[in-house]
Amino acid sequence: MYKYVIKRLLALIPVILGVIFIIYLILYLTPGDAVTTILGVNYTEEAAERVREELGLNQPFLVQFGTYVLNLCRLDFGNSYITGLPVIEQIAARFPATFILVFVSMALCTILSLPVGVQSAVKPNSFFSNFTSALSMIGIALPTFWLGLMLILWFSVGLGWLPSTGSLSVKGLILPSITLCASFMAGTMRTTRSSMLEALNQDYIRTAKAKGVAHKDVINKHALKNALLPVITVIGMNVGSQLGGSVLTETVFAFPGLGRLLMDGINTRDTPTVLGALVVMALCIGLCNLLVDIIFAFVDPRIKSQYSKGR
Amino acid sequence: MADEILKIKDLVIQYVSDGEVTEAVNGIDLELKEGQTLGLVGETGAGKTTTALSVLNLVPKPQGRVVSGEVFLDGENVLEKSEREMEAIRGNKVSMIFQDPMSSLNPVMTVGEQIAEVVRIHDNVDEKTAMARAREMLETVGIPGERAGEYPHQFSGGMKQRVLIAIALACSPKLLLADEPTTALDVTIQAQVLELMRGLKKKFNMAMVMITHDFGIVAEVCDEVSVMYAGRIVEHGNLQDIFDNKRHPYTEGLFNSLPDINNRKSSLKPIKGLMPDPTNLPSGCPFHPRCDYVCEKCSKEMPPKTWINDTHYVRCWLYENTTESRLTEGE
Repeated sequence: MYKYVIKRLLALIPVILGVIFIIYLILYLTPGDAVTTILGVNYTEEAAERVREELGLNQPFLVQFGTYVLNLCRLDFGNSYITGLPVIEQIAARFPATFILVFVSMALCTILSLPVGVQSAVKPNSFFSNFTSALSMIGIALPTFWLGLMLILWFSVGLGWLPSTGSLSVKGLILPSITLCASFMAGTMRTTRSSMLEALNQDYIRTAKAKGVAHKDVINKHALKNALLPVITVIGMNVGSQLGGSVLTETVFAFPGLGRLLMDGINTRDTPTVLGALVVMALCIGLCNLLVDIIFAFVDPRIKSQYSKGR
Repeated sequence: MADEILKIKDLVIQYVSDGEVTEAVNGIDLELKEGQTLGLVGETGAGKTTTALSVLNLVPKPQGRVVSGEVFLDGENVLEKSEREMEAIRGNKVSMIFQDPMSSLNPVMTVGEQIAEVVRIHDNVDEKTAMARAREMLETVGIPGERAGEYPHQFSGGMKQRVLIAIALACSPKLLLADEPTTALDVTIQAQVLELMRGLKKKFNMAMVMITHDFGIVAEVCDEVSVMYAGRIVEHGNLQDIFDNKRHPYTEGLFNSLPDINNRKSSLKPIKGLMPDPTNLPSGCPFHPRCDYVCEKCSKEMPPKTWINDTHYVRCWLYENTTESRLTEGE
């Protein structure tokens, strides 16, 4: 098992390298110049040359990329073009906020969608099941920024219950996490529903019933644990997408997180900040996937025994 | 009456899907005394499994519904019991072994837990005692008790079936419903499992309903046989009645489609045609389109029971006017 985790961690390195390469290449090819970002529109050729020299921008692409990766190994993400501060510090300052936002919205999403999904699988043709299915379709269809704005309109402007800007407080987290969670709930719920429906049709459920296991135990103990694998996959993927989705939500709510750092970086052509934020997000997604695979092993003994065979 | 463990009276079960009604079980009667074994024989789709499920009151809902009839288990009508009352009966007074051992065990629970669960539910004991019983049961079915902590995927098919038998017998039921317990197994394993079941049946003194389509199994373990066709029992009797004095053309057909070990050159005589579409059963006797002895009356009316002797009856118009039937009917 440990062997497997270490192997997966090592396998993460080339993936992250690939991601960095692609991001770096795209930003390299994007029109716009660091010089204008740093010096403004009016600059002398000498000053520009000096800046390029300083940042190594006059080097060939591969040399630039290599230097960046080597610096990354020392946790040096470079300095922001705008503030001149190290990017790593900016990320460290913003990351906890995004982490908490994503965590809260993921928890909210799981707590709400699991029971609803299970219940609608137990009674697949009931009003409840149809109603929640319809609701989840609406959840998918609503654009994040629109829902965010509407929530602000109702609860902040109209009722005045909650602040319109997000922050790291209970009140400040409510609206952003609802917004973020809405679009992901649908997927989690539907996956829970369909995988529960499948599990409930299995022969071992009939065995459990024939043993005299009580109805609620048949569902919660026998069916749910078997139905959980696809749900965990979806939740794990959601966390990844939520990191990305948080860009929109954080912008709408002016939330002081990684997503807005990225957004501001893009707006000001602050390449090191954009790169840094994207690399951290990619790393998070990679780690999330690994975590999901490890959780798999604890839910399903068949997968665990595959891991310990130690291929 | 008291020693009758199972009595089914005029049971009718239908499945409804997309407005089409399938008559899975169509007015069957069964009686089984304590400690006896009844073989329920018939082709796939004859309603054998549905009949067994009705004893557990587990006919799949909402598609399946018991239209009429009574199922008495140890003198109590299970069809009138609440879900909670049934939970106390299932796995305790009556248990069932299913056809496919591969998929009938929960893949994410250890086999020990799965056996212990049934003990814990019915015998009101703590986790530890239940687990000890589970290990004991594993030994009883010939699996080392240490393996209780392993998961189903670590067992072979025959061993999984043994585990299922252990689950079924853990609370010493009075009646065991065995739904083709050996169909999914290799022939050599089949013999082992049958031998095991026969031994355990004697040890626990249970009654058993053995659902099968294999007359070899019937000959080995059963006392009585009911031959089912399209949801009806077409012939019933003890082993001698069915093996040596079979009357119904369908029973005869089933025997003719078995290979003859003494005459290997003889070709098999399969029953012509296929099982009728259960949503659209033929009128009268459902077997008449495939029957070699069909007469005019067969397509019009379902034949009543004709008693050949005290233990043996047949539902076929061929025997309508036999003296034997007049005699028994006159009684």
